[in-house]
Amino acid sequence: MKRYDLITPEGTRDLLLNDCTIRKNIENYLRGLFESAGYSELNTPCLEFYDVFNKETVYFPQETMYKLSDRKGRLMVLRPDCTVPIARVVATRLREAKLPIRLFYNQSVYTPSRTNAGKSDEIFQSGIELIGSASKKADLEVLTLAAEVLSHCDSDKFRLEIGDSGFFKVLIGKLTDDPEIKEKIRALIEAKNYPALNDFLDTFGSNSVISTLKQLPSLFGGEEVFDKVAKYYHDAETDKILSDLKWIYTELSKLGYEGKITVDLGIVNRADYYTGVIMKGYLQGYGDEVLSGGRYDKLISEFGYDVHATGFAVNVDAVAEILKRYNPVSENSSPDVLVFSEEDDAMDALIYVEKLRKEGKKVEFSLFDTYEETMDYAKENKISEIIRYRGEGNE
Amino acid sequence: MNKPLRIALTKGRLEKDTVALFEKLGYDCTSVHEKGRKLILPICDGKIEVILAKAADVITYVEHGVCDMGVVGKDTIMEMQGKFFELVDLGFGRCRFALAGKKGDNFYDGYNVKTIATKYPNVSRAYFEGKGMDVEIVKIEGSVELAPLLELSDAIVDIVETGSTLKENGLEVYEEIAPISARLIVNTVSMKLRQNEIEELIEKIEKEI
Repeated sequence: MKRYDLITPEGTRDLLLNDCTIRKNIENYLRGLFESAGYSELNTPCLEFYDVFNKETVYFPQETMYKLSDRKGRLMVLRPDCTVPIARVVATRLREAKLPIRLFYNQSVYTPSRTNAGKSDEIFQSGIELIGSASKKADLEVLTLAAEVLSHCDSDKFRLEIGDSGFFKVLIGKLTDDPEIKEKIRALIEAKNYPALNDFLDTFGSNSVISTLKQLPSLFGGEEVFDKVAKYYHDAETDKILSDLKWIYTELSKLGYEGKITVDLGIVNRADYYTGVIMKGYLQGYGDEVLSGGRYDKLISEFGYDVHATGFAVNVDAVAEILKRYNPVSENSSPDVLVFSEEDDAMDALIYVEKLRKEGKKVEFSLFDTYEETMDYAKENKISEIIRYRGEGNE
Repeated sequence: MNKPLRIALTKGRLEKDTVALFEKLGYDCTSVHEKGRKLILPICDGKIEVILAKAADVITYVEHGVCDMGVVGKDTIMEMQGKFFELVDLGFGRCRFALAGKKGDNFYDGYNVKTIATKYPNVSRAYFEGKGMDVEIVKIEGSVELAPLLELSDAIVDIVETGSTLKENGLEVYEEIAPISARLIVNTVSMKLRQNEIEELIEKIEKEI
């Protein structure tokens, strides 16, 4: 008995008509934007070897990947992320290319979500990678594009948040070398779980590093964050990180997005190939980030090519969901002309349809047996003109 | 005017405790007292909207961002996990997760794989994983205490408040697993987009608890 022949697997869905149009529009907008900024498109396969995602700085826990094995029994995954495969491509096929390299992609990522949580396992992402520059100019370029994307989606209620993954790494490095403890503290900071974070850090005694870590989840907001953090632990390394971040924050304010670009020193991602400035973008009406990215200077060297890089990815499905809710777009526009003919004249009529199409009209060919049915159909589908094709003479 | 701040409360005791807290803050909660069958209740001149939901649903609503904040027990958070900020330990609804079984039995005796009955399979699995111990887990919906008495399981993992139900049924706590209390959780995007309102409310709450 076939039980699963009429449905799609949990976490996936068919996309039709309006939904498909909205997604295509966003994709086209992003493609246009990225191309106009000098980025070129690439596609990587949906299937990758497990080893690609099992590197020192690339931490994808087993349960966050769909796996299968190939003909030779080698372990494969459905890509859970677009940046890691691109690092692989850059380190291999683009190794000789002149830097910087600007790339963008439009493709899906796969990750098993919790059952019945209403989340997709297949997420369509569009994003850019700017490879080969350690300069702050590269950070600014990428952040400016990120802000442009967000403000295009909702110029009124977006938020682009910046942070620096280095700040947390310096602090935690002063506290411990134990990766398990590091991960525990990171998770507590990420969840802004003050009660548990305080309890746990108290077991390490008290010093300025610990009190800064305790404050980390609360260090977000506008410019005042930089004043607040100045009161806590600092050394030459953190001073440099913070002054660079402040410089970027101040420069970005020239874009004029009053108060929409903010700072969060408590962004501490798990997929921690990030090494410097990181970003997250939010839109009102979606309960999770719609854009995320940052600098990943060590990732490509995991594949044997030591080169700096930064970038971001947009969750196109999330953006589509919001745009659909707030600005419902019209269905596909109806054709200009409906052409009807008797069966004997069908081929000639189709040639005539082709001619009309070449003139730039949107033409549909009527499949009905009678002209009356064709008229009803045209009325129902709001097609204003019907042409009855009769060999030479038309009406 | 801005949209009201939406806060999901776990129906029952946590709801009452939270409403009492809101009243201490000076918010008018008449609509919650006279709720009838309504599930969405404006309080505080419509600046806040209270949603009443089952514990697990509070997490779901907050995670999806349809509610900005929620009040839910740590037990449900540990069982469900999820992505949200867990900002404040509200201090009420205190109890603990415990491993319990028949009084006088030694749970770790023998070489057989132990069977655990629980309403919290994820918490139980994580606990024994941490010990590097294989166990069989049976999900029970109602009175979990029955399982060891009927010899379905060797022990249970459950919430224990006073321990009197255990005692009356000849059971005892073998080990404490984790303390539990009510938490204030916040959607990660709301925290950023409505930072001022949320921080103001939290500040008031923290002064009161």
